[in-house]
Amino acid sequence: MTDIDTRRDAPPAHGPNTSNLADILERVLDKGIVIAGDIKIDLLDIELLTIRLRLFVASVETARKAGIDWWETDPALSSTAARDELRDENRRLRERVEALESAENGDAPSARAKDTAGAGT
Amino acid sequence: MTEQPGAPEGATSTYVFAVCRRLDPAVLTGLAGLAEGCPVRGLRCGPLTAVVQHVPAAEFTEDAWQRRLSDRAALEHCARAHHEVVTAAAACGPTVPLALATLYRGDERAREALGADADRFTVVLDRLENHAEWGVKVYVPATARPPSAPASAAPHPGGGSAGGGAGRAYLERKRGLHRAREQHHDRALRTAEDVDAALTRLATATRRLRPHSPEMTGETHRLQILNATYLMRTERVQGLLDAVEGLRQRTGAEVEVSGPWVPYSFAGEV
Repeated sequence: MTDIDTRRDAPPAHGPNTSNLADILERVLDKGIVIAGDIKIDLLDIELLTIRLRLFVASVETARKAGIDWWETDPALSSTAARDELRDENRRLRERVEALESAENGDAPSARAKDTAGAGT
Repeated sequence: MTEQPGAPEGATSTYVFAVCRRLDPAVLTGLAGLAEGCPVRGLRCGPLTAVVQHVPAAEFTEDAWQRRLSDRAALEHCARAHHEVVTAAAACGPTVPLALATLYRGDERAREALGADADRFTVVLDRLENHAEWGVKVYVPATARPPSAPASAAPHPGGGSAGGGAGRAYLERKRGLHRAREQHHDRALRTAEDVDAALTRLATATRRLRPHSPEMTGETHRLQILNATYLMRTERVQGLLDAVEGLRQRTGAEVEVSGPWVPYSFAGEV
């Protein structure tokens, strides 16, 4: 796998020799001129798509879609993250309410019961 | 071009890496290609030269390919080997890379098939003369900076009074964060469009590739917002590099350039 990167005699004018795999794959798999061979290899075969997914080649075409994609994958932007944050906030608030209520209960249970009854009518 | 050097015993297929006009066999010396022990060589096809290699037929059947392409390490090996040969051949002049896994039952069949498409290759070779492909990726920081002082929430006269003030501040803070995220997002999209527009003006042709997701790059601190590639005339490359430097300074985004690539992305019909 290091055969390219360790080649010392690579012509300087052609090909970045530290190319990362993703850059190479997206060119070698997707591009190049397609002519019919004697042995048919369907590079868009489902299996290959699976690998490509495994390699995390994002399935986004346009910048707009890309925008949606980061929205989903950026933990800071994702709605899941936002939900978690809300849930935490909720939990903290509930704990505070409970703490306050129990403190209140301890101090003046009768007054608190009256308040609750009043609110119910 | 000799016909059968290094042909392995048993049935062989002919794997085609690329097609070019002229080829100095020396540039292929020592390349492993896809089959150890079979030299990568030129195969004359009329006015064109194909860059080919004999491979053991049994290891290059459709089933074998499916297995190979389903294995991450094997896929990487193939892709890099293919790329290495294509890149080496391009040292001699315009070169059209073929899609990975183009195989024929023998040299004669390869010559026949490539010859039948000679016109198409000639057109592409003419178009790629004096050109190379340059990749450009743009990144922005992964997270929106939360507004340091929630300026919008500030005007809150005597805001110390218990419950109402805290609730309002909470909502303001939430809104501020949301706004910051949206602005970050919009700014990133605009930056991507600006960079692409500026570089497209310098290029002969351009292609947008799929941006690499954070899972793919393994980076959490930055997001790739543009993954584009440009077919550049040799004499315009410096202009591209200068423009990229200007865009880095103007937009504050990280801009990465890779190249020159053999014009893979521009070998097909544009």
